[in-house]
Amino acid sequence: MKFSTKLFGFIKKDTAGAIGICIFIFFVIVALFAPLISPYDPGAMHFDETGALMRIHPPSFQHLFGTTWMGRDVFSQVVMGTRIALFVGILSAVCVVFIGTNIGLIAGYYGGRIDNIIMRIVDIIYGIPFLPFALILVAVMGPGISNIIIAIILITWRNTARVIRAQVLTIKQRAYVEAARISGASNFRIMYKHIAPNVIPLSLVYIALSMGTGIMTEASLSFLGYGAPEVPSWGKILFECYNSQAMFIAWWWMIPPGIAITLLVLSGFLVGRSYEEVANPRLRER
Amino acid sequence: MSRDNILLKIDDLKLYYHTTAGYVRAVDGVSLNVAVGERLGLVGESGCGKTTLMKAILRLLPANCRQMGGEMYYKGKAISSLSEKEIKKMRWQEISMIPQSAMNALDPVYRIGAQIKEAMKTHQKGISSKEIQERAANIFELVGINPKRLRDYPHQFSGGMKQRAAIAMALVLDPNLIIADEPTTALDVIVQAQILERINALQQRYSGSLIMITHDISVIAQTCEKVAVMYAGKIMEYGKVRDVLNNPLHPYTLGLKNAFPSLLGEKKSLISIPGSPPDLIKPQPGCLFAPRCPFAIAVCQTEDPPAKEEDGRIVACHRLAEMEGLKVLAEDETIWERKVHAGD
Amino acid sequence: MKSLSKYIAKRLLQMVITLFVLSTLIFLLFRLVPGDPVSMYLDAGMSAEAKEMLMKQFGLDKPLWEQYVIFISNLLKGEFGISFQYGKQALAVIGDSFWNTLILMAVSLFIAFTIGIVGGAILAWKRGTRLELAGIIGVLTIRCAPVFWLGMILLSFFAFRYQLLPLGGMNTPGTNFETVYAKYFNLDFLKHLILPAITAGLSAAATPLLVMRTSMLEVIKEDFIELTKAKGLSDREILFKHALRNALLPVVTVFAVQAGLAIGGVVLVETVFRWPGMGRGIVLAVAARDYPVAQAAFFLIGAMTIMFNLIADILYAFLDPRVSLD
Repeated sequence: MKFSTKLFGFIKKDTAGAIGICIFIFFVIVALFAPLISPYDPGAMHFDETGALMRIHPPSFQHLFGTTWMGRDVFSQVVMGTRIALFVGILSAVCVVFIGTNIGLIAGYYGGRIDNIIMRIVDIIYGIPFLPFALILVAVMGPGISNIIIAIILITWRNTARVIRAQVLTIKQRAYVEAARISGASNFRIMYKHIAPNVIPLSLVYIALSMGTGIMTEASLSFLGYGAPEVPSWGKILFECYNSQAMFIAWWWMIPPGIAITLLVLSGFLVGRSYEEVANPRLRER
Repeated sequence: MSRDNILLKIDDLKLYYHTTAGYVRAVDGVSLNVAVGERLGLVGESGCGKTTLMKAILRLLPANCRQMGGEMYYKGKAISSLSEKEIKKMRWQEISMIPQSAMNALDPVYRIGAQIKEAMKTHQKGISSKEIQERAANIFELVGINPKRLRDYPHQFSGGMKQRAAIAMALVLDPNLIIADEPTTALDVIVQAQILERINALQQRYSGSLIMITHDISVIAQTCEKVAVMYAGKIMEYGKVRDVLNNPLHPYTLGLKNAFPSLLGEKKSLISIPGSPPDLIKPQPGCLFAPRCPFAIAVCQTEDPPAKEEDGRIVACHRLAEMEGLKVLAEDETIWERKVHAGD
Repeated sequence: MKSLSKYIAKRLLQMVITLFVLSTLIFLLFRLVPGDPVSMYLDAGMSAEAKEMLMKQFGLDKPLWEQYVIFISNLLKGEFGISFQYGKQALAVIGDSFWNTLILMAVSLFIAFTIGIVGGAILAWKRGTRLELAGIIGVLTIRCAPVFWLGMILLSFFAFRYQLLPLGGMNTPGTNFETVYAKYFNLDFLKHLILPAITAGLSAAATPLLVMRTSMLEVIKEDFIELTKAKGLSDREILFKHALRNALLPVVTVFAVQAGLAIGGVVLVETVFRWPGMGRGIVLAVAARDYPVAQAAFFLIGAMTIMFNLIADILYAFLDPRVSLD
């Protein structure tokens, strides 16, 4: 009860957070009803009355965002692309934060040697160039959603782990944790029963923030030509737009997917940031 | 006291903070004079408006603090009428300050020497760097720090040394008035004593005026000639230190004196004044101290006590005439407690 | 100063360790490839002798741990194998593109931090105004926009529509340069540099800007700022000499993280603007399955990231006297 009021308390007082939530809900609705909203099959090629391929036609009532070089409907592609963006964003964020939170808990709770080793690893991972790493991993293991998500997880757990660890270090000092230890509770129990509930708000912040990273990474890899082959994604639309060299003429092809990515990433950032103020007012992103 | 002798004159000054909840009357009708070379102590609990008052002299108040009435005159000139340029010239050159907490008052990324020299460079254009260095070294010796340590950064100094460096900085331009804002509160007792001793010793050499702000009445006793007791934005009592401390004429001063160990060595138990300062946004009618005053009577609740002056002594209390008798009652610590219970 | 060199030495050691881990990662990463690991080094088009030689050089017929030892010792010699595409040493293929990326990266980080520091300070100073709101919205939008999309927009605007700047590349094709300096120090190069550097710079400016703003807001509340004011300093001196200088410290910390992220941005920006750097090189090498070149490029990009981290650490130590250097 206290938790949920805390969770949604910020909406009332924080406009930015509320805007973020609205954008996110909008995209969720679009994703859920994507097949109903999109007027055509995103892969279908369209022809005009004369039977000619409708190459880069500007927006019209038939094609709200116009058509691509291959005569495909941009609007349908963008709408269907919402699904993959949300899927990658949410799944990778949940995995990243789950792993990062647990590692942070372990490092912060046990401290000493274990903490030292984990934090050294975190430091090293901060030194690995993320996108080139993801690019090579996906190229070597083969393009596909799961490999993209794996690449994201392998690198970005460090952010959550570091912040959660810092939080655990302070919670560990509190009297009730000490009390639990004296009363003979096991390490596992103290960690998950007594400490974890206090870091979960912060984990939620990082789910919101990591969602943006996931979406951006997927879009970037798709733009570089390593997106999942069968599914339409925003990054892939931009990849095709760029490669067709039609982007200079067909702004309607280039602008909508970019705006979609920007808005969805922005929503995660806004929600994360304003909730962060509720969860931990003294915290700043490194 | 002749008129020209007055360095700083504060006349019915009102400083209100503008907040969403309304105006906070931080300083509400304060009148004070500081003569040339005079050392005035300003004592009161935290939040009584003494820091606001002092910042106002240098025009350092935040934008939401407004002068709602009255005026301050420095050497006969109204401070609020000075231009930006004039006030900048006046700062440090004429009036300097020793900050509340020297811990945070020195810029951590510059050497202390550079920060002291900065004041000279700002105000005394054309002075040679050799002379600047000499004067900085002199002033450091004066406050008892090895001049070699001018090259240190603030984090390399102990708390007491930082405070001494801050004193050195305040003295470096030989101003006419120094405002010391709780210069010892952040320090431990032994260092506090050292700093006060240092301030006393410096007074032999420094001829300017001093305003010492503190909540510790014993600090005033050691350093000042005059004292003003401030409560809730108003002056409760003003006079010579000796008179006010030996013979307080306001219940608040009585209570304040009880709250600190006696300097004269009498062993008495300490009594602090129960209760807390009043709401300054919607002050109650009458005397603002009445809710905490054990001697408050009906008139105290309704009428603001006028400030009565006699032999340079100012007291704002309705029961001034009966004070001799009340003082005896105030010795009894339970009377202060009883008041609170009655209030419950 | 003695402690500073000790500090740098310690950081360098850490850098070597990170590089070592990075190379191990490269070794493992490229052996994840499904099927025959030999294909990582051997191209179908190679002659039998060349294949034989490479098999020997990288010990591809030996067990994994021996391959690892050989891999590391080759790496120390700067050998990543022979490029499948060009038949040259991988490092030779990368060649100049290292410097091309370094220049682009340095210029765009410079742009990012100039915008960040100045913009953050202004937004903090103009707190509560419409300018602040507009600034924050603008900066957040750019931060959340994909950098390659930003590049595409700038490209179609400034290069295509108004034809102010070249469409891509690093030099106008067909120009020959006699010296290395001639290649970089000319107006044509600068013109080619502007758009990619601004794209990457804008995209990376948001984080330092927001951090600078917060930091500035905290610093101007500090006691020492008030004392500086009491000392009679002008607003400009207070802002630039004291507030800015102190507010910079957290921004420098951001620099280290930002450098790691910016290199990802640079990969995308190089691709959009066809900038002949390592980022584009790695994309092309991976696409052509030229693994030796991809490995070498990845290693060098990692080294560059770590180097920028080192610079940030040293800068911090210089700016903040409180940092204990041991």
